[in-house]
Amino acid sequence: MRSPIRIVFEQRSETPKHLSVLVPLLSVVAALVVGALFLLATGYSPLETYSNMLSDGFTSSRGITDTLGLSTVLICTGISAAFAFQMNLYNIGGEGQLYLGMIGGAWAGLALGNQLPTFVMIPVVLLVGALAGASWILLPAFVRSRLGTSEIVTTLLLTYIAASLVKHFVYSPGSFFVTKNSAFPQGRLVPDSASLSGIGDTSLYPTFFLVILIALVLFWVVKKTEYGYRIQVISDSPRAAHYAGINANRTTMSVMLISGALSGLGGAVLIIGPFGRLDPGIILLGYGYAGIVIAALARNNFSAIIVSGILFAGLRSGGDKLQISTDTPIHIGVMLQGAILLFALGGEAFRRYHIHAVRTERATQ
Amino acid sequence: MTNASHEVAKGPHHASGAAPSALSAHSIVKRFPGVLANDSVDFDVLPGEVHTLLGENGAGKSTLAAMLCGLYQPDTGYITRNGERIALSSPRAGLQHGIAMVHQHFRLVERFTVAENVILGSRDLSYKLNRSELEDKVAAVAESYGLPIEPGATVGDLSVGQRQRVEIVKALYQGAEILLLDEPTAVLVPAEVEKLFENVHAMTKAGKSIVFISHKLGEVVEISDRVTVLRNGRVTGHVSGRGTADTKELARLMVGRDIELTTQRASHATGHEILQIRDLSLTVGGVNVLSDISFNVHAGEMVGIAGVAGNGQRELADTIAGLMSPTSGSISISGSMTTDRGPIHARELGLAYVPEDRLGMGLVPSMSILDNLLLTRDRRVVVDRTTVRPEATRLIEQFEIKANGPDHMARKLSGGNAQKVLLARELSGGRTATKLLVVCSPTRGLDVGAIETVRALLDDARSAGQAILLISEDLDEVMSLSDRIFVLYRGSVVHETPGESAQLATVGAAMAGLKPEGKS
Repeated sequence: MRSPIRIVFEQRSETPKHLSVLVPLLSVVAALVVGALFLLATGYSPLETYSNMLSDGFTSSRGITDTLGLSTVLICTGISAAFAFQMNLYNIGGEGQLYLGMIGGAWAGLALGNQLPTFVMIPVVLLVGALAGASWILLPAFVRSRLGTSEIVTTLLLTYIAASLVKHFVYSPGSFFVTKNSAFPQGRLVPDSASLSGIGDTSLYPTFFLVILIALVLFWVVKKTEYGYRIQVISDSPRAAHYAGINANRTTMSVMLISGALSGLGGAVLIIGPFGRLDPGIILLGYGYAGIVIAALARNNFSAIIVSGILFAGLRSGGDKLQISTDTPIHIGVMLQGAILLFALGGEAFRRYHIHAVRTERATQ
Repeated sequence: MTNASHEVAKGPHHASGAAPSALSAHSIVKRFPGVLANDSVDFDVLPGEVHTLLGENGAGKSTLAAMLCGLYQPDTGYITRNGERIALSSPRAGLQHGIAMVHQHFRLVERFTVAENVILGSRDLSYKLNRSELEDKVAAVAESYGLPIEPGATVGDLSVGQRQRVEIVKALYQGAEILLLDEPTAVLVPAEVEKLFENVHAMTKAGKSIVFISHKLGEVVEISDRVTVLRNGRVTGHVSGRGTADTKELARLMVGRDIELTTQRASHATGHEILQIRDLSLTVGGVNVLSDISFNVHAGEMVGIAGVAGNGQRELADTIAGLMSPTSGSISISGSMTTDRGPIHARELGLAYVPEDRLGMGLVPSMSILDNLLLTRDRRVVVDRTTVRPEATRLIEQFEIKANGPDHMARKLSGGNAQKVLLARELSGGRTATKLLVVCSPTRGLDVGAIETVRALLDDARSAGQAILLISEDLDEVMSLSDRIFVLYRGSVVHETPGESAQLATVGAAMAGLKPEGKS
């Protein structure tokens, strides 16, 4: 009443199509602006930093293959997060499931790699990794579907256990995963049959195309199949699902397991290339957490995740290289990631509401 | 009402032309996306008067009321209080001007006591609450208007009528001079309605103004000093005089044409038993929700279940539909047991179920009409939408659903059209041809035109030999359509009567739990 201008949130009956594209784009731009403020405040030139990032991430040929290579795992964790999110199941433990996928993939490679040929080993490594990832969400999925326990807490906490598990397998003496009699504890490389080399000596591996294919298949599954229909009914109206005789518990269980398997697949992909071994360095990289942001930016649309995953990979790999070429702190990439998530979530308000300012005098005319 | 009341009605209106109205709306315009909810509406209420806003759902009466109490702000136009222009930026501002609204859906904290609910939101409370003193104050306010209330009772334990009284006491406690009652009788049984009207008289006698919002003609005529009729956001007429207004005239103003609601019953002999319920009991969390219910519904027959909301109707429907498992007893459809076999099994035997909560249960709001038609049908592994599309288009035409085709989202349908989609799906048969139709409150919230259509559809289904179980809180509806009527009270059938010879007073008393003659 006192202020002459009032901000009015008017619920939209329909979201205009252009906003679905515009809001994510502007979220990225807004995050870059915020990042620029930090760069300025700490004495770096934002323009120079961003143009370096751009060329290191997207425009040079080495940059492009590095970006696509990194996007492979990020698209995995992105579709993993989105698959659960679309049913309002917040699996934020993709990070831990990714570690398990790496452990499982490395185990399969080390245990079976010498006996089986490559064309068998690659699917085996991926499959064991996916199963290991799914196993890590089995307990959260069970208690969520039976008792309604928040999966947010359980999946998150299991991530810390998964991180300890990785360290245990690498640092405990005589571990199956490490090189025997080595002075420095390090994961053992899987045999050649269980890994691939980058295409044309780049860091882009054939698994990239497999992951793209999986994303597209999921897109189709959700839009066209009975399973996708069921997911949509449950996520929008659990009571309607009950009414129609749809078993929500079973679907909750399967959706969470698939989500875990996709993150696990991301871990196994890293064994096939470029890591080739169980590496505790994965714990610092946060690929699983990045998947949450990628899914949010793409609004859980599986084909859009391919785009947002590649975008993120570019920001990350460009940011990582900055530190080598200049002395810009490596964390600018991670910081941008956080800022993009905030703006993408905040931008939802613009999609849902028509926000405008009105003069209050007018209201009483 | 007596003739004398007509005189009383004239009193405040004509006695002093100088007395400003307690509250007036002047040329109010309110627009929502795609809808002109109020189009230059004028309205005023005098001190000590009951002024009714009459109109169908969507006519704009709730929107106007929301602006009168500060919930919404008008786009153009203004509001005056005792002749002075006021700006109502929030319900709190409305309260400061002595305007309070009693919403149709109560806004009470169930775990709080009556007194705690009444003082909730007061700003002049001390840090430490003196409960007994507050309870005395609340009781004093209630008593002065003849509203019996127990300030120490927990609201969760109260009946719907008592809760409504708490809301009214709350408004009075907050100093309301003008009370807006939004569809206050929708949730009450006949006896409670009478009690409410007594309270309304006590309040008007004390000089309070009442804005009464309703679409039920009979009660409007009984309670109102004046009536303002709204249709499509416009005022279509003012009628004054308590007890003298012509319901036919009001109905015409409200709908825009003459209305005949069918009251048909099965003229032909009914067929074999389709639904058989034997000694059905259901206990939820230690409470007997249904006890020992047994009845049959035959082909070509409509059985009505009357009762006040919350007496086990929803659970009865859900149990028949296979959504809940009974604690004991059995249900069979067309001779096959369906107890404990789930909803899909029941549907395969010919069940169709129109639940009370359309958008919350019967339809998936974010899905298209097409996808909603698939909800209770057999979907293959890959959902085949192309073959269902022509059928969806045909049903939209046949049921006269106002939509932009099969891809129209359910959430964006009006209440009446959503109900038609639900009926279209359930009546057209899914897994098998429909034999048994269970419908809950099929016309609740619909405008008179849509009610006509829906009742005609039910009648057609009955004529086509379907067995229909009609569960409704609308007593008029149950009485005018059913071949047989059962009254459900606290989970038991307390009264049974043929539809033709049913007496409103007897059925109403049974609904209120007063034991009538006959079945106990």
